[in-house]
Amino acid sequence: MRPPYIHIASLLIAAVGLTLIVFIYSTRPKNLTEVATKSSVAIGTYEIDPKEFENGLAAFRRDEFEAARAAFDRADPEKRDAAVQFYVAYSFYRQGWGRVSNDNDLFSKGLVAIDQVIKLDPNYRSTDSGLAMKTPSELKAELEDGLKITVSDFNPMKLTRERK
Amino acid sequence: MTDMDTERSAELAAADSGQIKTVTLDWRMGETELRYAVRVYVILPVIFLLVTLFGGMRFAAADHSFLFLPPPLICLIFGAITIFLIFRARLIRFDGWLNEASPILENAANAVVVFLLFAASVQVYNLLLPEQGLANWVVTALFIWTLWNDIFADFDQKKLLRSLAGLFAIAFVTKYLVLANLAVKNEASWLQRVIENPGKEAATWFLDLPVYAPATGYLQFFTILLFLFGLFLIPQAARKEELST
Repeated sequence: MRPPYIHIASLLIAAVGLTLIVFIYSTRPKNLTEVATKSSVAIGTYEIDPKEFENGLAAFRRDEFEAARAAFDRADPEKRDAAVQFYVAYSFYRQGWGRVSNDNDLFSKGLVAIDQVIKLDPNYRSTDSGLAMKTPSELKAELEDGLKITVSDFNPMKLTRERK
Repeated sequence: MTDMDTERSAELAAADSGQIKTVTLDWRMGETELRYAVRVYVILPVIFLLVTLFGGMRFAAADHSFLFLPPPLICLIFGAITIFLIFRARLIRFDGWLNEASPILENAANAVVVFLLFAASVQVYNLLLPEQGLANWVVTALFIWTLWNDIFADFDQKKLLRSLAGLFAIAFVTKYLVLANLAVKNEASWLQRVIENPGKEAATWFLDLPVYAPATGYLQFFTILLFLFGLFLIPQAARKEELST
């Protein structure tokens, strides 16, 4: 073997090893499964689990929002898919919505989720006919409005409004 | 004698003086040189990379999930002092690793191995220093004291290895046996912990000790052994023939 080959091999080992170490320390995976998931995000092969997404959708349509979010988390553990995260945000909205008052905690979590959708895909538009709000900006406005206390909150006609 | 003959004689004289050996080495390595090169350019980088990876790794007490802690700035300073000591004690010879007579590629590969040694040293201090609280301050002060004294001490290779092994051993025992046993690990409520074991609870609070799973200690023990093994394997010079001369 010629010496330059082993020098190149050494440089490659160091480059690959250091890249891996920097990647692990920057992403901080909690277990080996997360190492694999975060690696697939880094190399661009990350995909959601369609079966879990379908399970989540089914639970969402039955108004079982906690079960739906658990399934969405399993479908998209890295929170990289705008569609899944839109449903997560929507589930917080529907669960937190109240005819008299909203659950501020759930609405705040919904805002965090919808901000993630906007970050991932600002032009996202849902094709689900069962959803009254199709875009992240509509849902965000609704969540923000629900968190504010305004004069209109004391309007008795508000009791007649419907959940979107 | 013609000019061409004179030139050939000069080339033969140069060959006799050993230059021909360098040419042969550049072309193809023998069995012994190959083994030596594998040790320097493959085994040592892998060892130091593993130490760098595992040095900041801990296991959470609650669910044994991985925690990766980047090294604090002081560890970089300790790592730099350690490299200085390694050069000073001639555990590795500077001109044996970085030499203007060597090809650029070889110098680059050697520099990377030395850099990996530095990174591994940094992570060894990262694993030995308690992460926070009073214990961190005390152990950091003791490391500064010891390394500062070492800078002025008269070291050879064996003495340096013994000194580092001793320093790492005592720091490991302090962190992973003494301090780890003072930290409360159970899942009980705060009141229950105070009633059941007030001494441990007080020590955990006073020393501000983070609690890790016992697997952390095992991993870090083997990480230190691996680092010391890497130091033991590292030659004074990256080329075998430079070592023999």
